[in-house]
Amino acid sequence: MASTTISQVATPRKRIRWLDVKEQLTGYAFIFPAVFIISIFGIFPIGYAFYMSLYNWRVRQGPFVGVENYHKALGDWSGVIIFVLGIAMLFLAYLLWDSALRSHSNLGLALKIGAAMLLIGAFFVAPVGWQQMLETGDVDFLVSLPLTLYYALGTVPAELGLALVLAYILFQKIKGQEFFRMLYFLPYITPVVATAVVFRTIFSPRETSLANQFLTALGQEPQKWLFESKPFNQVMFGLDWLEGFWAGPSMALATIVLFGIWTYVGYNTVIFLAGLGSIPHELYEAAQIDGASTWHLFRYITLPLLSPVTFYLALVAFIGTFKAFNHIYVMRVPSAQGTVDVASVFIFDTFYRYNQFGYATAQAIILFVIILILTIVQNKVFGEKVFYG
Amino acid sequence: MADAMKADQSVIPASASRVRLRPERLVMYLVLILGAVLAILPFYWMVSTSLMTLGETIQRRWLPEIPQFVNYQVAWSEARFSRYFFNSVIVTVTTIIGLVTTSVLAGYAFARIRFFGRDFIFGILLSTMMIPESVTMIPNFLMIRGSILPLPGGSWLNSLQALTVPFMANAFSIFLLRQFFAKIPDELWDAARIDGAGHLRFLWTIVLPISRAPIATVTLFAFIGSWNAFLWPLLVTTKETWRPLMVGLWTFVSEAGPETHLLMAGAVITLIPVLVLYFLTQKQFTEGIATTGLKG
Repeated sequence: MASTTISQVATPRKRIRWLDVKEQLTGYAFIFPAVFIISIFGIFPIGYAFYMSLYNWRVRQGPFVGVENYHKALGDWSGVIIFVLGIAMLFLAYLLWDSALRSHSNLGLALKIGAAMLLIGAFFVAPVGWQQMLETGDVDFLVSLPLTLYYALGTVPAELGLALVLAYILFQKIKGQEFFRMLYFLPYITPVVATAVVFRTIFSPRETSLANQFLTALGQEPQKWLFESKPFNQVMFGLDWLEGFWAGPSMALATIVLFGIWTYVGYNTVIFLAGLGSIPHELYEAAQIDGASTWHLFRYITLPLLSPVTFYLALVAFIGTFKAFNHIYVMRVPSAQGTVDVASVFIFDTFYRYNQFGYATAQAIILFVIILILTIVQNKVFGEKVFYG
Repeated sequence: MADAMKADQSVIPASASRVRLRPERLVMYLVLILGAVLAILPFYWMVSTSLMTLGETIQRRWLPEIPQFVNYQVAWSEARFSRYFFNSVIVTVTTIIGLVTTSVLAGYAFARIRFFGRDFIFGILLSTMMIPESVTMIPNFLMIRGSILPLPGGSWLNSLQALTVPFMANAFSIFLLRQFFAKIPDELWDAARIDGAGHLRFLWTIVLPISRAPIATVTLFAFIGSWNAFLWPLLVTTKETWRPLMVGLWTFVSEAGPETHLLMAGAVITLIPVLVLYFLTQKQFTEGIATTGLKG
């Protein structure tokens, strides 16, 4: 009773408070320290990085060169345009296919044919553009981008899949749930530099390293792991007819992918577990009464209701892999011959080792734009499939 | 339809809902145990190697014959891990104090004070979470060197400020606290206001005591972020003066060469504070992280 009278009194006062100068100033004073620091170290650098990227900036500021740094990295604009066109066709093909699935008339068939043709076209157009970029641009920088993609595609689906399995099992009223959860989470919180150093010794090319002892026990040949620049498909399965992009990541990068999976499975498990806990229990009980099997429960209740969590984790993980630096930097060795130098590591080298500040910022901005586009595409493609209940 | 389901459910006894076969459970436990072994194995390897002699590391035993605790002594004093350790402690504590102060103030203002442009400013802050470190690191490096703006005391290279100030605010912590502060009932504020309290006193005497959980979560994240930081400290510490543990461990990788046992002892040293904190606050930790994931 007392509280209602207070809130009744308070409502009209709130409207007046909008004009209250002291209230406004208090607000600005409270946010000032945080906004000041974030502006200086988080927002200002974006504009300044763009400014730097337009100059021939080594350790000190040199002459203005316009888009020359971008040109140097990406190669001839015609190549870039053809490549972007190819990627756009791929995306358009997806959109057509998606709308074809929704319409059941002849239009659907036409859309499907259109999508297929676009897809085929994209597979011809994009490589032409890419080839031209490689010939006229900075090969080492350009190659770092598919390497980043390998790393992302190698880690994200695997870590999400494994995490889902572990979380699903842990959720089945398992004894020691908390204990397992604690162990799985351990790799995520421990310093990456320390665990990466450990992985360096576990995956060392010595015959007695842990990884090689394991292979020997399985009757396999010992491997060079982080020191192996050959594609991992070729080394492990003898698939030496694959070429270019399709040859896949090097053995060294595949080892780093293993590290990435090892580090993040636990984090994803914890969040999946929380997501499973938020699914109403009545749904399962009702379906069980209707005679649904365990698989049906998982497929038609758990997966759809978990999709917002899955989407969030996929987005965070994907952006994370494009920013990944520390463990890759620590685990790379000269023998890998640059096959593990993903974009962020390559940019760091351009900046720190070769002191090309302007060029490095141009590369960083290209990476940023790619991350932005991927985020938007991911939102478009998967965001629609999320079931928000 | 939904009503029918609800009616059914009340008739069926609860015990009938979950009946499982034993072999299934067995497979589940096997998968969980396999996962746990894989998660732990590198840590086992790290600790066991750190207690070996050089000879044992080359033969690759699974256990040292006699644990060589002297390795830790060597890493601590001769490899100067003691110095890096205390640097890291000071850097982490300073960062946490700064970060929690700025985030509590800003989180409170964004949740409970009305001022012009509030949501717009908050939106801009949130968008900074997407920006990769690759973009900001180079201008920030120039900034810290004093090449863009004149800094108090000239260049900040190799200083405590360089390692702490840039991390004393982030959008994520503000967001987390704002979510919590926004849920505090208005009646509390109205009551405090009638008693003549301003925002600062209300924040200090009422809000902070009931906000231990979200502040602990922010602190834990800040601890992990600061303690594990590598890229930025690598850039701004060219001398040993303020070099933190992670950079110390990395330079030791090249210095230690084949002396894996010392390297592993160093790695274990970097791990200990994180592990102690994790085991003490385990529940708070995982639950804090789980809720941040669900809110996204």
